[in-house]
Amino acid sequence: MTSTETIRAIQENIARVIKGKPHVIEMSLVALLARGHLLLEDVPGVGKTTLAHSLARSLDCSFKRIQFTSDLLPSDIVGVSIFNRQKQAFEFIPGPIFANIVLADEINRTTPKTQSSLLEAMSEAQISFDNKTYPLSPPFMVIATQNPAEYHGTFPLPESQLDRFLMRLRIGYPAPEEEKKVLERPSSLHPAEELLPLLTAQEVVQLQEQVDKVLMEESLTEYLLAIVQSTRHSDLLSLGVSTRGALALSRAAKALALVRGRTYCLPDDIKELAPIVLSHRIMVARQTSLHPRSFEQAERVIRDVVDTIPVPV
Amino acid sequence: MPLNQALHLTSMLLASASFIGLTLGAGLPEWLAALTGATLIAVLLRNIGVKSVEQFATQMPVSTIGWNLIVLGGFLGFWIDLLWVSGELLPAGLHFLMVLMVIKLFNLRLRRDYLHLYAISLVAILASGSLTTDLWFVPIFSVYLLAGVWTLLLFQLTKSSEVGGNVGVALSMRQESHEGHDRVSPRLFWTANGLALGAFLITVVIFFTIPRVSAGIYQKGFGENLRTSGFSDTVNLGAIGSIKRDPSVVMRVELPKSPRHDARPLYIRGVSFDRYDGKVWTNQLSYRRSLIEESSGTFAFRRKRVASGVELGEAIQQKILLEPLDTPVLFAAPFIERVSGAFPSLFFDGTGAVYLPFPSSSRIEYTVLSRSNTLVPADLGPEPGPYPEWVLRQYLQLSFQSDRINTLAGEVTQRQRNPYEKAAAIQTHLTRNYRYSLDAPLAAQDQPLEEFLFSRKTGYCEHYATAMVIMLRTLGIPARLVTGFLATEWNDYGNYYVVRQQDAHAWVEVYLPHSGWIGMDPTPTEDNPGAGGPVWRVLAPLVDNIKLQWNRLFVQYSAADQLAVVRELKAEGVSVRNKALDSMTALFGTFMAVLSGILTPDMSQVRIGLLGEVIGFAMMSLVVLFWLARKRPWVTWRFWRKACSNELVIAHLYRRMRTYLAGQGLSRSAAIAPLELVKITQARWREAHAAVASITELYCRTRFGHIPLTQKDMKHAEDQLRGLLELRRPSQ
Repeated sequence: MTSTETIRAIQENIARVIKGKPHVIEMSLVALLARGHLLLEDVPGVGKTTLAHSLARSLDCSFKRIQFTSDLLPSDIVGVSIFNRQKQAFEFIPGPIFANIVLADEINRTTPKTQSSLLEAMSEAQISFDNKTYPLSPPFMVIATQNPAEYHGTFPLPESQLDRFLMRLRIGYPAPEEEKKVLERPSSLHPAEELLPLLTAQEVVQLQEQVDKVLMEESLTEYLLAIVQSTRHSDLLSLGVSTRGALALSRAAKALALVRGRTYCLPDDIKELAPIVLSHRIMVARQTSLHPRSFEQAERVIRDVVDTIPVPV
Repeated sequence: MPLNQALHLTSMLLASASFIGLTLGAGLPEWLAALTGATLIAVLLRNIGVKSVEQFATQMPVSTIGWNLIVLGGFLGFWIDLLWVSGELLPAGLHFLMVLMVIKLFNLRLRRDYLHLYAISLVAILASGSLTTDLWFVPIFSVYLLAGVWTLLLFQLTKSSEVGGNVGVALSMRQESHEGHDRVSPRLFWTANGLALGAFLITVVIFFTIPRVSAGIYQKGFGENLRTSGFSDTVNLGAIGSIKRDPSVVMRVELPKSPRHDARPLYIRGVSFDRYDGKVWTNQLSYRRSLIEESSGTFAFRRKRVASGVELGEAIQQKILLEPLDTPVLFAAPFIERVSGAFPSLFFDGTGAVYLPFPSSSRIEYTVLSRSNTLVPADLGPEPGPYPEWVLRQYLQLSFQSDRINTLAGEVTQRQRNPYEKAAAIQTHLTRNYRYSLDAPLAAQDQPLEEFLFSRKTGYCEHYATAMVIMLRTLGIPARLVTGFLATEWNDYGNYYVVRQQDAHAWVEVYLPHSGWIGMDPTPTEDNPGAGGPVWRVLAPLVDNIKLQWNRLFVQYSAADQLAVVRELKAEGVSVRNKALDSMTALFGTFMAVLSGILTPDMSQVRIGLLGEVIGFAMMSLVVLFWLARKRPWVTWRFWRKACSNELVIAHLYRRMRTYLAGQGLSRSAAIAPLELVKITQARWREAHAAVASITELYCRTRFGHIPLTQKDMKHAEDQLRGLLELRRPSQ
């Protein structure tokens, strides 16, 4: 099977569980292949967890889920050291972070200290504990969810930490006919449990390496930079996109090209990804919006900015 | 007969008529005439449905690339023809035109090809019309007109029937159609012919009834010329004053030889007067003799040579457009040497005035070369020479005596020695001490001159000039009064003087023994603020210039002008050819000379010039190729497919597509990404979607993926674009 066919097969596989959301599935694959992490932001019960679960099941990868609560400690994520009487030494018991795909559910419910222990793992792909470094085995992807409707007892992630997510996605309610299919499904089994793995971890790493080989033409790099630059100078924004954001957009565009079966990027890739890759990295100026951190507002501003940048021809 | 077939037939008829016209008129070379004729017959046979011809046509071995090469070859041939064979622009151009027609006839596929054929036919019939005056042109032109009416009609009909149905681009010739309205019925046939005939008859009626004259015959007040005064044989003192408030334009004067205008007023001389009886000026030398016609339309004025050693002043060339006036006087700057214009004859009198045989009832245009006298230093000396006898006899007449004037003249000039200084002193005296006013009464007094000089002390040009002449004569200095116009209004847009009735003027000519007649003007300049608001003051010259150009280019346009244009074109053609040859030889001759130094001396003898020309010619062809490539992207890559990367070509095609889509009302924004545009097209213009999608796909693959395209891909993209350009988006 060629990479394109493989990717299509995975998409179809997940689509059997997540009905009527091909775009979300495609984007989560993009995040996986771009070695990025995904932030799902939506109201409860639209399938955030199921999506993460299905993705993990479609790959022959280890999957761990951490439910974030206000009393969660860093050691609950990273692991603990326990004194082994037989060996007369401390022994490191790895926490749930040591998996290929980690679902961090309701990430904004826990304390900043715990959040940051996760975020270090996300950016470095390794865990430091007791002066020792434990690398995480690739592929490593964190899918975090958060609920935008509830703010009581939450610790919103600061911009610096949001920046580490490759993209922020909404799932949204399904269309009525799709929802009907969900309801008609036999409820005996969790739908994601039926899925068979299609790819080994090794193959995922190979696909990720293929993303690096996707061609981004020079003019497209310039186009991307122009978008990033204009977010920095826009009056609508009080905080523009960082260099890490630019890098993320570039990687995501390459991954999207691969997902769509191309060996080269198009302006369309960049243009389409810009809102979901960039919108959580910016701050909308106060005079522009009453809800500067609102998802829709940020996406609209990014879209407006992108619509002013001429596409290379 | 199906519409498409009928259209094809009438198109052939159109082409044939223009071809026959050109063959008879221009005398095409036999081979070219035979080739074109044979092609026409072949295409006609194919249309009627002769199988063998049709088979041959479909199996013709020449591809589109081949045709383009043939066109280029024809163009090359045109240059060779121009430079070496016929050596003239017109025949070479006509030969090339016929070659183009043959090529087009073989290539009648798209509607656009038909349009090209019509354009070629039109040029051909125009050319043959201008080349002949024979009677045979009439039937051929009638056939052409009828075929033209039919062709346009059918072209429109086939177009609308196509829009209704499937969007087909190519015109299939023998398309079977069973619906009644897609056929030429007898009723349509006769109605169209009747309409064409009717239009022709109406044109004939208009042709014979509407007169072609350079004056608006139905215009109000036709035949009434502008009333002037001051230019007849006898003029009352003060007559000019009656027209000094009339802003009607009398003439426009161009100075073709002196393009730089220094805002100096120009004196335009009409007539002069020698005798004053106290109230009335008379021209006693009004006997008119014919001017000698040098060549057709050019008259020379043989001036009385005053004495040897008279220095002639600067020559002024003027081109004058004179409105219809009630006087036969021909105005020009002093003094006329040569006049050319469409005059049967001209006359002159003893005072140097030139007359038409009778006042013209239409505008006339003429060119004058004038040369004024200059002041010779000998006349500035203390001892003036003797005056010629005829001057003394004619220009010292004083029919009345006035001691006061005598005294005044003596007082003003008592310190001056020679006639010129005296004249200048009188001029200064009048200019300084008298006030310009148009309110002076019209010669009501018994002694209007004394009235002006001693009591009223206000007057206008005639009073000043008369006073100066009389004062000079009392001092024994010959002088005369001149009437004419003082042109001050310069039109910047057209570079000419506008002369109006209100510019009518009178001044003085003083005779000096060595210099001859010298003009002097004792009238102070008046303050004339001009009419109208500030906007009009800016616009008026522009409007006036447009009027002049209209008159020159349309109303006065005559056969002579037409001939002049043809002659000029011919001369231009020859000079272009010569220049091209010269510059080529000059450019490449040196290069070749250097080269020949390296080669053996024998070889360098072999026509260096010719080699230079060949190289120059190749360069020119390259330039033409570049130009073609700019206009038609697909022409480009056919010739450069080896030299030029497909990436550039496909990008060009893509840009062309985007421009076209924008022109059809689909997104103009530059921020639209390629695939987005495909989606927009799919949503808003379904017919174009397939073409846009495939061109975009190929473009993106090469442009952003650096994946080379095959020639097949390129051909495909080109075909798609061509198909797309034929589509029209239905308006929303």
